[in-house]
Amino acid sequence: MNPVQKVVRGKWFIPGLSGLLILASLLVDRTIGGELTARWWIDAGAHATGSDVFTLADLLMLLAAVVAGHQIVVKAVNALLTRVIGIDLLVSVAAIGAVLIGNFWEAAAVTFLFAIGHALEAATLNKTRSALAELVAVAPDFAIVLRDGEQVEVPAGQVAMGEIVLVKNGAKVPVDGQVVAGTGAIDEASITGESIPVEKAKADQVFAGTVSRGGFLQVLATGIGADTTLARIIHRVEEAQDAKAKTQAFIDRFSAWYTPAVMVLAVVAGLISGDVVLALTLLVIGCPGALVISIPVAIVAGIGRAARNGILIKGGEFLETSARISAVAVDKTGTLTEGRPELTDVVVLAPGHDRASVLRWAAAAEAGSEHPLARPIIDAARAEGVATEGIPEGVTPVPGKGIVAEVEGRRVRIGNPPLLEEHGITEDNGAGRAATELAAVGRTPMIVAVDDTVIGLVAVADRIREDAPEMVRRLHEAGVDKVVMLTGDTRLVAEAIGGATGIDEIHASLLPEDKLDAVARLQRDGHTVAMVGDGVNDAPALATADIGVAMGAAGSAVAVETADIALMGDNLLKLPEAISLARRTARVMRQNIAIALITVVVLLAGVFAGGVTMSIGMLVHEVSVLVVIVNAMRLLRNQTRPTVPGRPAARRYRPRRAWHAGSPVPDGDSAPAPRRAPRAVRSSARR
Amino acid sequence: MSTATTTHTILRAEGFSCPSCVAKIEKQVGRLPGVESVQVHFASARIEVHHDASVTTVDDLVAAVAKAGYTARPSAF
Repeated sequence: MNPVQKVVRGKWFIPGLSGLLILASLLVDRTIGGELTARWWIDAGAHATGSDVFTLADLLMLLAAVVAGHQIVVKAVNALLTRVIGIDLLVSVAAIGAVLIGNFWEAAAVTFLFAIGHALEAATLNKTRSALAELVAVAPDFAIVLRDGEQVEVPAGQVAMGEIVLVKNGAKVPVDGQVVAGTGAIDEASITGESIPVEKAKADQVFAGTVSRGGFLQVLATGIGADTTLARIIHRVEEAQDAKAKTQAFIDRFSAWYTPAVMVLAVVAGLISGDVVLALTLLVIGCPGALVISIPVAIVAGIGRAARNGILIKGGEFLETSARISAVAVDKTGTLTEGRPELTDVVVLAPGHDRASVLRWAAAAEAGSEHPLARPIIDAARAEGVATEGIPEGVTPVPGKGIVAEVEGRRVRIGNPPLLEEHGITEDNGAGRAATELAAVGRTPMIVAVDDTVIGLVAVADRIREDAPEMVRRLHEAGVDKVVMLTGDTRLVAEAIGGATGIDEIHASLLPEDKLDAVARLQRDGHTVAMVGDGVNDAPALATADIGVAMGAAGSAVAVETADIALMGDNLLKLPEAISLARRTARVMRQNIAIALITVVVLLAGVFAGGVTMSIGMLVHEVSVLVVIVNAMRLLRNQTRPTVPGRPAARRYRPRRAWHAGSPVPDGDSAPAPRRAPRAVRSSARR
Repeated sequence: MSTATTTHTILRAEGFSCPSCVAKIEKQVGRLPGVESVQVHFASARIEVHHDASVTTVDDLVAAVAKAGYTARPSAF
C-alpha cells in the first residue's frame, strides 16, 4: 500500500474529511454565504435552515454528511440483509431523514460524530485487545535447529518433533522442549507472569515464547506450533474472550428487542406529535451502542490483563463467578506446602547411639520401602554421609504403621507408636511423648527400634511455602470470608500448618471423596467456592467447586484445558490477584451497564423536555460509548500492589531452580534447597 | 467430501469495532471458491477459515478481508 492509499484506507480518513467539509461549510456560511441554486427540499417549517436558498455552505454540509454517512448506510443495508436491525440502521434513517427535511447541519453532525466515534471505538477496542496481542507477539518467528551437525535457521513452525533446537543468549525459545545440554537463565514472564529468570539445566522443561537471558541451551523439541503451551494459552484466552458471559447473553437478548422498540417509539412519537425531527432525534439517541459494548469490552480487558499476569480464566462466565467467591478451599500438599517432605528432626533416645546411627538405621530400613516418607530419610542419610550400601532383607510393610526390616542380621522397626504396641515393645524410652510433641508442630514422627530397643526418632515435614500466610491474608483482603484447608494428613500436622498460615478452617484425614463433601458443604452454607488443587486426587472436589483452580499449570496441558482458572506460575499470590481482578471486572461491567442506561434515560428525558437536538444526542451518545471503553481499559492498568516486584528488581538476574508440574521428585543430587533463597528475595522486594 | 485438501487457516485482524463487521467478513470470505467455512470471532478479532489451499491461498483470504475493510495477518495458531 502506498502512503496515499494508507491514509485513505485509515480509520481516520472518513471522519477527518467529513469534519473538514463541515468546517469549510461553516466558513463559507460566514464569509460568502452565496446562493447556489434555488431551494428544492421539503419544507419542514422552523426546523429547516430558515433561508429560502440552497447555499454553497449547504452543499458542503450535505457532502460532509454523504462522506461520513455512506459507509453507515452500506453497513445498515448489509446488516438488514442478514436480518440484523442495528445501530447503523437507526443512524442511517435519522441522517437521511434529516437531509430530506433540509436539516443538513444535523445530518452532517450526526454522521460525522458517529464516524469519529467508531474510529475512536476501534482504536480503543484494539487497545483492550492489546494484552492478547502482546501474547501473540511473543510467539517466536524462527528457530536454529541442529541438522546433521549443522546449525540451520528455519521458521519456528517448521521444527519437527524430536529435533534439537539451539537457544542462544537473548533469543526466544521457539518450541516447548526439554533441555538436553547446556545451562542458561530463561525469562518465563510470557508464560507464567514471573519476570525473574529461571535457571535451566539438563532435564528441565522450557516453553516456547520464553526468552533466554544468558547461557546456551540445547533443547529437544517436544511441542511445536499449535502444540506449544503458548499456543494453548492464546487459544484459551481467545476462547475465553469470545465466550459470552451470562450478563452478556442477557444484554444480547435485550438489544434484539430494544432496537426495534426504539424505531417503533420514534414512529409513534413522530405520528402523535407530527414532529419529524423529534422522531429522528429519538432514533439517534436510542442507539444501544454503549449497552452492547459494555460487557464484552470489560471481559476482553479483564481476561487479557489476567493472561498477561500468568492467570488464565476460562471465560466471562467464570470471571463473573470468580467475582463472587466467598470461600477458598486449598489442598495442603503442594499448595500451602512445598509438596516435598524433608527430614527435620533426629532424636536420640538410647545410650550408645548418636544422630548418625539413628539416621543410619532408619535409612537402612527404609531403603526397601516405596513409601513417600522413606525418600527424605534416605536423602538425608546420604547427604550426611551415613547411608549404608546394600539393601535390607525381609522387608515387611505394616500398612498405616510403618515397616519392619532385617538389616545386617538385626531387626529394625520404624513407624508410629501403634507399630511398637503391635510388636509388644513397651519400653519406649519416652518415644511416645517425643512423637506427640513433633506432631504438634506439624511434623510426621517415626520411631526407630533396633532389636526391640527404641533408639530414637526421626521426623519428616513438608515445608510450608513462604508466601502461604501472605496468600491467606490477601485472600481475606480480596473479600474472601473463609479459607479452608483440605488434607489427607492427620489433624495434628494439619493444625500446625493451619496455625502457621492463618487458615480459617481445617479438614484433616480426608479421602478424595471427603474433600468433595467438604466443598459441597461450603456450597450448602451459601458460599461460592473456589478450590485449589493439583487436579489428580483433588479432581472430584475441583469439579464440584464453583471455580476449579490449577496451580503451576504451565507444565501441564491438561491443567490449562480443564481448570476454570489456571495459574501458570507457581506463585501463590496469583490467586488473590485473580479474585480481586475478577471483582474489579465485575464492577466495571455493572458500572458500564449503568452508564449506558442512564445516558439513554437522560437523553430521552432531554428530548421530551426539549433542548436535546439530534447532534447533541449523538455527541452524548458517542461520549458514553467511549466512557464505557475507557472504563474497561482501567482494568489493563496494573494494580496498585503488583505481586511481582517492580521492574528494576525484576530485571536483575536472579537464578532460581526451575519448577515443573508433573515432574518426578528430584533425586538426591538436585536437592530442593536452592528454592529458598529467591523466595526470600522476592518477598523482601515486595515490601 | 474434499476434506483431504482442506487447510485450517487462522487470521488475526485489526480494527473490529462492531459486531456487524462479523457478518460482512464472513460473507466476503465465504464467497471465495474453495472456502468451506468461515468463522469470525469478534472479541478476539480472529478469523478461522477452512479452505482448499490449492484453490484459494492464504493471501487470497487476506485480500478478501481487506476488501471488507479490515487488515488481517495470517497466524500460526
